[in-house]
Amino acid sequence: MNSARTRFCNSKLLKEFVRRFSKVKSECKDKNANAAKAPEKKPKLKTFSIYRFNPKDKTQKPTMKKYIIDINDCRPMVLDALFKIKTEQDSSLAFRRSCREGICGSCAMNIDGVNRLACLHKIKPRGVTKIYPLPHMYVVKDLVVDMTRFFDQYHRVKPYLIGKSGDKDQGGSQYLQSIKDREALDGYVECILCACCSTSCPEYWWHGHSKKPNDFLGPAALLHAYRWITDSRDYATKERLNQLKSYYSVYRCHQINNCTSVCPKRLAPGKAIANLRLLMSSFKKKKKPDMEGSLPAEPEKACDQACEAGDKKK
Amino acid sequence: MALIFRLSGKRFGQQMLITDKSGLFNFVRPVTLKAKPALSEKEEGHDERNMRLKRPQSPHLTIYAPQLTSMLSITHRFTGMALSAYAIALGLGAVVLPESIPHYIEELECAEIGSSCISAIKFILAFPITYHFWNGIRHLLWDAGKFLTIREVYITGYVMLALAISSAIALSAM
Repeated sequence: MNSARTRFCNSKLLKEFVRRFSKVKSECKDKNANAAKAPEKKPKLKTFSIYRFNPKDKTQKPTMKKYIIDINDCRPMVLDALFKIKTEQDSSLAFRRSCREGICGSCAMNIDGVNRLACLHKIKPRGVTKIYPLPHMYVVKDLVVDMTRFFDQYHRVKPYLIGKSGDKDQGGSQYLQSIKDREALDGYVECILCACCSTSCPEYWWHGHSKKPNDFLGPAALLHAYRWITDSRDYATKERLNQLKSYYSVYRCHQINNCTSVCPKRLAPGKAIANLRLLMSSFKKKKKPDMEGSLPAEPEKACDQACEAGDKKK
Repeated sequence: MALIFRLSGKRFGQQMLITDKSGLFNFVRPVTLKAKPALSEKEEGHDERNMRLKRPQSPHLTIYAPQLTSMLSITHRFTGMALSAYAIALGLGAVVLPESIPHYIEELECAEIGSSCISAIKFILAFPITYHFWNGIRHLLWDAGKFLTIREVYITGYVMLALAISSAIALSAM
């Protein structure tokens, strides 16, 4: 074993590797030194035009305010620019943000006319970037909008598993699902409820705001409705579909497909709505689940219980 | 005593009071405590609340960037409107005008306004039909749950546009 190791250490291959590695290392060092010596770059100025509204100022109407920042010392995304403006120029600028990596869905706003997540959209080096809050929503302050109705519509599609009626185990055990059935949910479960899709939908602008239950639920809520209907572990398909059978909830969709084009997670709410309609008109049937039944949530505990029961029998 | 109070609160207690002849219960006044639910906060709708707070509505149609998806959709509606306008106008024309419609078409041909002008008029008449037809087929495919990823939406959109324009040109060249 030892001899093999020494043979490897002395081998030409290793020596060659070490030589090349040290060369690369020295080149890197040179580069760093050059970077430090390089003169300061010219500032790259970029203008942002941002929608401002201050609720304290009742007489003031919403305005567009321009901010000019140097994007040389700014990280690449629009959200970073907003942070830079907030810290350096105007601390009164309000916007929602949390994860800064496109998974929380807080920083959805209308950038250059299209709904996007500010944290996933790169700053364009030229021109004026216009930033508005999500379209056709009530503005709380600046880029923060009232999402109450959006989440209410989401809650109305019952975004949770409903088991067989009379299922006593609900919540106490794990429902079985085959890998294939789980894969059928891909493309629906990734939704982060950022509201980019719903607020890009003209139909949602015109009909999403009518009095419930006569409102169009919007692509996000309908995507979730479809996600729970297709789930092999859910048994309330009929009830869910019946709930949607109104003039407004689903059929206001005119397949403009703005929802699919803006989704930052590359999902297709338009497809979910088309599938929902097929299910509602029973052109399509829900697939029978590959696996049924459930497993105890804590297998070890269940094992102990079973043993105890066995002991008692004896 | 407690029993009397308890009984008096109930219905049969009151009945006893009415039927009581000894006058024992006359000293006891039945007191009924009405349980009222606490006044809940006034249910305020989403719109009412936001209007009370004087929140403005964020801009929508005016600031949203025109995209192929929405533009094709609105053109579908406009061509539909144009088609029904043509149908109504021609129908009314047939009823109201002193001569029949083919007579006017002949007159238009004799007016010598140039063949290019005539084919332009033909194109204006034909394009709404072809556009509405091909986009209608696209909508039917969507209703069947097909071609709904964004890539497919764009591809079918361009194919539909090409078909609509070329068939409108073919019709107007006839």
